[in-house]
Amino acid sequence: MSVNAKPKPVARKPIQWIDLRGRRVGFWAYLAMRLSGIGLVVYLYLHLVILNQLTAGPGAWDGFVALARSPIFLALDVVLIIGLLVHGLNGLRLALVGFGIGVPRHKTMLWIGVALAVILSVLSALAIFSKG
Amino acid sequence: MMQKTLTRERASSWSWILQAITGVLVIVLVGVHMIFQHFVAAGGLRTYADVVAYIRTPFFLGWETIFLIVVTWHALLGVRAIALDFGLKRSVERVFNWILTIIGVGTIVYGLWLTFTVISRTS
Repeated sequence: MSVNAKPKPVARKPIQWIDLRGRRVGFWAYLAMRLSGIGLVVYLYLHLVILNQLTAGPGAWDGFVALARSPIFLALDVVLIIGLLVHGLNGLRLALVGFGIGVPRHKTMLWIGVALAVILSVLSALAIFSKG
Repeated sequence: MMQKTLTRERASSWSWILQAITGVLVIVLVGVHMIFQHFVAAGGLRTYADVVAYIRTPFFLGWETIFLIVVTWHALLGVRAIALDFGLKRSVERVFNWILTIIGVGTIVYGLWLTFTVISRTS
């Protein structure tokens, strides 16, 4: 057996997800992808349930709209948009790299994605709160 | 053993390709959804009358219907990917796939029912 042989990569067990020692940036991208994904699935079903208010007619829906325009809901909208940007931009990077596009540049793309997510989140927050 | 490994890898790469394709589609679909439902709409959210008018527009009816189908597919494939990370047994995985398929079809049927209920309401 060669001394220089690289150790065979071993798949992490799910319990090791919470072991954060010695992680690289790719891990944080993976974790952000998983957590934002779970959050967005929960949001999707919450959204579909709330839309059921539409079947109860104008009174019920417009009551919800008034509530949804309160500052706390607007702050949650910003959280949603941050989740969409993180998941969407990183997902785009994963799709490109997965199809063999820009593989050597994947880390550059990650940082471009982070920068875009920050800029677009701030712009969205400004747009949301300036509308009131 | 070798054959089994190959089959499993092929199956997971197919779901990965589907996840990537639906993912890119969702970016476009959710982009238009967010802009027209929440940024163009006055006050960030449509009133009842505006929702009805919006969903009765053929273009947006088509757009939102495709969005519903693609986003449900992408979301449940994502849930499946997370579940597979836990190293499910083959038999458990098969049952889980069926459960997700039923949830997915149920979600789309519910969404379509909701859409056409709103469209056909008279008041």
